[in-house]
Amino acid sequence: MMPRAAAWAIDFALRLVVVWFVSLALAVLGDLGIAIYVIILFALLWLYPVLFEVLMDGQTPGKRAVGLRVVNANGTPVGWVPSIVRNLMRTVDMLPLCYGFGLVAGFADPHSRRFGDMVADTLVVHVEHHHGHSSAPDVPAVQSPLPLPAGEQGAIVAFAERAKQLTPERQQELANLLPQLTQARGAVAVQRLLGMASSFLGRH
Amino acid sequence: MKQDMFQARHEAEWTALDRWLERRARPPVRQRAHDVEGLIGDLDFPAAYRRVCQHLALAQRRGYSVLLIDRLQGLVHRGHLVLYRPHPPRWHAAIQFFAADFPRLVRRHWRAMGVAALLFFGSFIGVIVALQFRPELAHSLFEPAELAQFETMYDPARSDARLGRESGSDVKMFGYYIMNNVSIGFRTIAAGFFACIGSVYVLLFNGLFLGGVAGHLTAIGYGGPFWRFVAGHSAPELLAIVISGGAGLQLGMALVAPGRRSRGRAFVEAGVDMAKLALGVFAMLVFAAFVEAFWSSIGWMPDPIKFSVGGLLWLLIGLWLWRGGRGATHAA
Repeated sequence: MMPRAAAWAIDFALRLVVVWFVSLALAVLGDLGIAIYVIILFALLWLYPVLFEVLMDGQTPGKRAVGLRVVNANGTPVGWVPSIVRNLMRTVDMLPLCYGFGLVAGFADPHSRRFGDMVADTLVVHVEHHHGHSSAPDVPAVQSPLPLPAGEQGAIVAFAERAKQLTPERQQELANLLPQLTQARGAVAVQRLLGMASSFLGRH
Repeated sequence: MKQDMFQARHEAEWTALDRWLERRARPPVRQRAHDVEGLIGDLDFPAAYRRVCQHLALAQRRGYSVLLIDRLQGLVHRGHLVLYRPHPPRWHAAIQFFAADFPRLVRRHWRAMGVAALLFFGSFIGVIVALQFRPELAHSLFEPAELAQFETMYDPARSDARLGRESGSDVKMFGYYIMNNVSIGFRTIAAGFFACIGSVYVLLFNGLFLGGVAGHLTAIGYGGPFWRFVAGHSAPELLAIVISGGAGLQLGMALVAPGRRSRGRAFVEAGVDMAKLALGVFAMLVFAAFVEAFWSSIGWMPDPIKFSVGGLLWLLIGLWLWRGGRGATHAA
């Protein structure tokens, strides 16, 4: 809920700025300027979210800044019709004030969808940033004595990535849970685990 | 197979796909026409994408390193975004939509459209007729200030000036008509979500309001300038109100009577039709705003031309909605 509200606020501020500049620029044009101004206002109100969502991979500038993306419920990029539906239904979610219905629907729904997302069959998802596991400490690789499935490799890499945020005592406590893998205890076990993470990450 | 061999064997393929995706993720329109130089061809992309999907499945099954799986996952994800991205709007599809699909869609929802027309035109005509016999009823519909405003707008004594407005040039009013009317139309559609109640309310309200204005002005003898003004744009505008009301009603019916579907499924299906109807309503209202701003306001035009153009528009739009797309093969 919070990221979506933040994304909306950013979009809103952005549109206000555009409206402000446009009104300054068009003030010199008189009645024609007012006509263009009102039409731009209309476009920002109704077309802005649809055009950005469809043409920019499901992201308005606000959603991009916060790291959100609109996708169809089956994971494919959002198309014209679903985007039009969810943005038309925005008028319903905004009622009675401050997106009240949208908030209630979002809290009640297991996928945090507002009414517009339910009718359009869309989801708002977080964009995963690919960080390349750079936060794992760069230590000499250690071969694992056992072949590990991907999920367990992932857990050990995740441990290595979080190691800096943990106290040495906590690191050792966690490493001591895997005596068969590390065949050691205490600080040595931590070092072996970090080394295995290095080898899983392809560092030699 | 060891991971090293697997990687060595397919490395070139992955790099090529990676570079193709970088170039292709959002190509400028003019680049779409021809293949990206030196990489895999555009037509080979689906096959390359499928192969990487299979490599990912193999890598996961064989327990290769997290890094490799992440990399393949990234390739598959980006490829997925490109493969399933919505196509840009096409001209012939747009023409096909307005010429055939939209009238067909309106006819398919003839029940909702009929109810909407009944609600709107029923209250509209009912109020006009009632006000001819009981003119004092106007005072229970409007405030005195509102009545005074309508009367000055359509006073026959100043009918040589612009019709139907107090000030403002044609082009400025065009902007306002688009903003107001289209926003009202869209809200009417969305309001149907609440079990049709919102759309019924908007239809009745607009019927009573417009009928009240028309009936009152006719009753006090100011009907001439008023009917001259509204004749031109009445067809697209009133029919667009009815269609947006009907679109809202068919959406609301997904909640009231979903039939043999879950309510969620019924809403999704009604939502697709709602979006398409909204597109048509948008086009009709932009056309209506154009007529209203640049044609209806012309004061000097003789009555016969004004009314025959208005009648012709009713005929043409009626024909369009009634016959449009009939007989043609269904594309969708």
